[in-house]
Amino acid sequence: MVDAQRDVPVKSALVEALVVMKIVKHCSASFPTTATGSIVGMDNNGVLEVTNSFPFPTVEVANTDSHSHSNNQQNDASSLAAAAPRSKANITYQNEMIKHLKEVNVDANNVGWYTSATMGNFINLSFIENQYHYQKDNDKTVALVHDVSRSSQGALSLRAFKLSNDFMAAYKEGKFTTEILQKSKLTFRDIVVEVPLVVHNSHLLTSFLHQIPAPPDNAEIPLPASLDDIRRDPAKIPAHPSFDALDLSIDPFLEKTCDLLLESIESHYTDLNNHQYYQRQLTREQFKITQWQTKRKAENAARVAAKQTPLPEDEWQRLFKLPQEPSRLEGMLNARQVEQYSKQVDGFTANITAKMFAVRGNLLPE
Amino acid sequence: MSRFFRGGDDSSTESSSDEEELYSGSEEEEEEKKDQDVDDSSSDDDEPEAAADSGSDSDGDAKKKGVNRFLADADSDSSSGDDSDNETQAKVKSAKDKRFDELEATVTAIQNGQKINDWGSISNELDKLNRQVIKQIDGGKAPKLYIKCIADLEDFMNETLAKQKVTPKKMNATNARGLNVVKQRIKKNNKDFQAQIDAYRKDSDDFMESDEEEVPAPKVAKVRFQDLTAEQGQDDDEGFATVGKGGRTLLFTPESIFKHLRTIMESRGKKNTDRLEQIKIMEKLYEVAVTPYQKIRVLMTLVSARFDLGSGAATSMPLEHWKAAEKELATLLRVLETEKDHIVIENAEEWDDDEKPPTLEDGAKYIRIPGSVVSYIERLDDELTRSLQSIDPHTSEYIERLTDEGSLYNIIFQGLLYYEMLRKDASLEVPQESLNRIIQRRLDHVYFKPSQVVKILEENCWKEVPSNVDSEITPRDPSHDAGHLLNVLCNYLFENSDGIIRARAMLCQIYFLALHDQYYQARDMMLTSHLQENIANFDITTQILYNRTLVQVGLCAFRKGLVYDAQNTLQEICGSGRQKELLAQGVMIQRFNQVSPEQERLEKQRQLPFHMHINLELLECVYLTCSMLLEIPLLAQTGSSPDVKKRVISKTYRRMLEYHERQIFTGPPENTRDHVMQASKALAAGEWKKATTFVHSIKIWELMPNTEDIKTMLAKQIQEEGLRTYLFTYAPFYDTLSIASLSTMFELDTRKVSAVVSKMISHEELAAALDQVTETVIFRKGVELSRLQSLALTLSDKASALIETNERTLEHRTQGSANAFNRKDGRGGNRGGGQRGGRGGARTGGNPQRQAGGTQFTGGALGAAVRG
Repeated sequence: MVDAQRDVPVKSALVEALVVMKIVKHCSASFPTTATGSIVGMDNNGVLEVTNSFPFPTVEVANTDSHSHSNNQQNDASSLAAAAPRSKANITYQNEMIKHLKEVNVDANNVGWYTSATMGNFINLSFIENQYHYQKDNDKTVALVHDVSRSSQGALSLRAFKLSNDFMAAYKEGKFTTEILQKSKLTFRDIVVEVPLVVHNSHLLTSFLHQIPAPPDNAEIPLPASLDDIRRDPAKIPAHPSFDALDLSIDPFLEKTCDLLLESIESHYTDLNNHQYYQRQLTREQFKITQWQTKRKAENAARVAAKQTPLPEDEWQRLFKLPQEPSRLEGMLNARQVEQYSKQVDGFTANITAKMFAVRGNLLPE
Repeated sequence: MSRFFRGGDDSSTESSSDEEELYSGSEEEEEEKKDQDVDDSSSDDDEPEAAADSGSDSDGDAKKKGVNRFLADADSDSSSGDDSDNETQAKVKSAKDKRFDELEATVTAIQNGQKINDWGSISNELDKLNRQVIKQIDGGKAPKLYIKCIADLEDFMNETLAKQKVTPKKMNATNARGLNVVKQRIKKNNKDFQAQIDAYRKDSDDFMESDEEEVPAPKVAKVRFQDLTAEQGQDDDEGFATVGKGGRTLLFTPESIFKHLRTIMESRGKKNTDRLEQIKIMEKLYEVAVTPYQKIRVLMTLVSARFDLGSGAATSMPLEHWKAAEKELATLLRVLETEKDHIVIENAEEWDDDEKPPTLEDGAKYIRIPGSVVSYIERLDDELTRSLQSIDPHTSEYIERLTDEGSLYNIIFQGLLYYEMLRKDASLEVPQESLNRIIQRRLDHVYFKPSQVVKILEENCWKEVPSNVDSEITPRDPSHDAGHLLNVLCNYLFENSDGIIRARAMLCQIYFLALHDQYYQARDMMLTSHLQENIANFDITTQILYNRTLVQVGLCAFRKGLVYDAQNTLQEICGSGRQKELLAQGVMIQRFNQVSPEQERLEKQRQLPFHMHINLELLECVYLTCSMLLEIPLLAQTGSSPDVKKRVISKTYRRMLEYHERQIFTGPPENTRDHVMQASKALAAGEWKKATTFVHSIKIWELMPNTEDIKTMLAKQIQEEGLRTYLFTYAPFYDTLSIASLSTMFELDTRKVSAVVSKMISHEELAAALDQVTETVIFRKGVELSRLQSLALTLSDKASALIETNERTLEHRTQGSANAFNRKDGRGGNRGGGQRGGRGGARTGGNPQRQAGGTQFTGGALGAAVRG
């Protein structure tokens, strides 16, 4: 039974509405700082059911611990929060929390973590490290990413990701040199896998939703005669419909994405420069080595002619140190991030074009 | 008792009965130190005694005073009694004989050592022997006994070595070490006496018995010479025998000159040679030198020896020696000038015969002496530079030293004349290069000087040479026009040289032109030289010269009021923040990367002497002012849309401005930088008058020629740029603006205002139109790009740049064979030639992005959709 379950990889994630609400609340409350938390649930034959969540406590920026990985692109609080899932204090907190949850009969298996994001800018080293931290112990964990900025435009943006198995293996090795990447054929597309996500409502919740009043038939509501009237039969105010989805302002979104894209390109250039520097260094060093080798060879030839024992020819390994190739991981992540942005824009424009036509059709005078 | 003894041989007569007196010892002295070989007649008084000398002994002796007289007599008596050098006196043993006995004892000890095969003691004895024998070498001839000993020893040693190879038995350690030492000593030592050893080997008995027949030869020569020249008076002064270092008497006679020179030359570069001593010797030698050949040889060796004094890495030549060397070089050149049949030439053969000077062969026009005048001159020049480098430039000493440059210049000039003369004779095959080198040196002394100074230099050097001499390359020109001189020198080098000298000549000329405010000429030469493309291949001194020239051109542009060009030219040097290093006017304190002492030393050597410096503060001031005039309008232009483009003209200036703005309290300006920064602030705020005052109050403008002109030029520039800044800053708030009000605001001519405005409109810097009827500027609204649009444009730029990078990488990987990916149809050209041209045209080009998106695009994407 257990083995059978192990074998089935996570194919989709089933997220309870409760979890969604909790995540949305936490993330938007702490916006624009990154918010992170843990999710619990269980794996059911390839479907990962996420049934509950709890946020990680936010650490005061003042008592910054040394363990927090500082991510240059974000401010202190954000980087702290982003690093929270793998910080020691939070692991203990998480275990404690799960213990308590067990006592109140909630699913007590950790199935991953969630994080907030702005315009999909979540693919960075911190994200990878966090997910790796979870996934290395338990393959059936996902990272839920709630994009606060995009959700504010109407449609909820909650996505589930996990690291691909290939990437897990490569990351375990910790080597991201060109050679290894070429050999393993690992590209930026293979870093994270998106897991389809379904929001699941309990029956109770569904029935509750059905009880939400529809708009009244007649516009006029009879005034209550007395206070008792109100108490007995409170006015059934209908849920306010959301018109966010009809928002036509495209500039802010595209601007923001452009900004982020430019930022990515900048970091790409930084990465590129690092690598070029490395390459220059390498060629210089190699040139020195060849020089040394030829010199040594000539020397040896002379020594052989003089009937002396030749000197060892592999001393260059001791004398010269080739520079360490910088990790290509950063570049890969960057590429993945750019892809993410592009897809986002793609999706956004598909959506907005439809709206544009609708607007044009209705608003233009004949 | 004086240290000078009257020589045993005071007779200049032909009677050669006592040839050996030259080497006879003075028996009275017991100490070996005082045992000297003595020269001819010595007298304490300086009067010329021509008659006495040519006459008999007694005449000379009669004049001797006091003790000396008797001593002299005794001397001459005893020496006349001597028959041969090796004879020992019966009663009083001469020190020389004593030493001879010692030598004998040592030789016996060595022979004993040989018998018992004790190499340890042999080695010790040999050392002793060598020490002793040095004192007894007569004119390169060692005592026979010594020769015999070392020859035998060598044979014995070879024998032992051969034996050693065969027998397995090893020698004990001391013996083996001794043997090794002896082996090395003998090898080194025997070389010197090879001739004698050979003679000995050939016929040992004969050798031992033979007398030194070679000795009389110089004597005869001397006598003959004296008769010929009748320079006894001079010889008289030379009658004192100078005590050499090792107690050896040095003999200064014309015929021994070459011998001395040879020994000095041989000891050159060796350790423990007392150069000062040698120089003294040579100074004496020069005094006795008579023939031009001797004079030339002595002078050349003397000058080289003086240069050797300064050959240490850090120290420069001592001042008095430099001066002496300079004088001697001058004398050398003068001698060469007068004695036309003697020439000093690089490709001449060495004359090996010390005994007789080379004579003019039949058919040969010249006596060729190997040597290189140009090298001497170059060395002299270098030494002056080095000494100037080491002197504190703010002392009067520096100025004093600097005056020597004039005489150096004269020497260079005379050297040039000399080489020109040599060149006239094609048969001599004087390489062109020597002439080029000397002209280059001359150029180096001229190019950085204002023409008045050059004129003085020229006048002085023409005064030095006789009036009938004229230079072919630089003919005697009564006007002494510096520009003309430089032109001639440079043109000569352009035609006759290549590589570095040519490049240097070019740079010198550009520098000179720039210094004399001929900007366009200088700039055109700079551009046509194509030096900026290959300057990296030249050596560092040339690169420094290039930097200096660049800076000078920039300063020249500034003086001409061409702010943009000045900034552009200076950018490369000043923008780096390493002006000092780039111009070789000081060493930067290296903080991060370790510099090896070797590098540091080299760097120190490269430093220019102070009088050649370009004032760095003035340079910075000019650069900052130019940057201000360009950057402030630019800042105003980009201020409204900060992320459209981050075009920065001068990063250094921006950094300083930022730093300045970050300060909470700014006091009154103190240094140049403060002044410029505060002026920038005022200019940015539209207070052009304040800016002008700030800029004008900078003290360093005084260093510029025509200070007032520069200040007026700056004021004008500030007015214009102030207007531009104002328009950029406040254009969004105006619908129309009357030119008249602008004109009063900036106190500019209305024509000037409309010119500036038109220029801005045509460069698309200002979205406006000029209404000439009402004399107003009418601004157009809504032409700015939306943020999204500008971002999109930036993004597309970046994307295309990325594509290009990718393509280039691919091309690199596939070694250029990947034509399949040829996508840069239209883009390639604008990249290739963009470097220099692009810079010049940056302003006129405006921003192409504006044109792309500036088509009346209002209301964003939705607006277009609605309109469509």
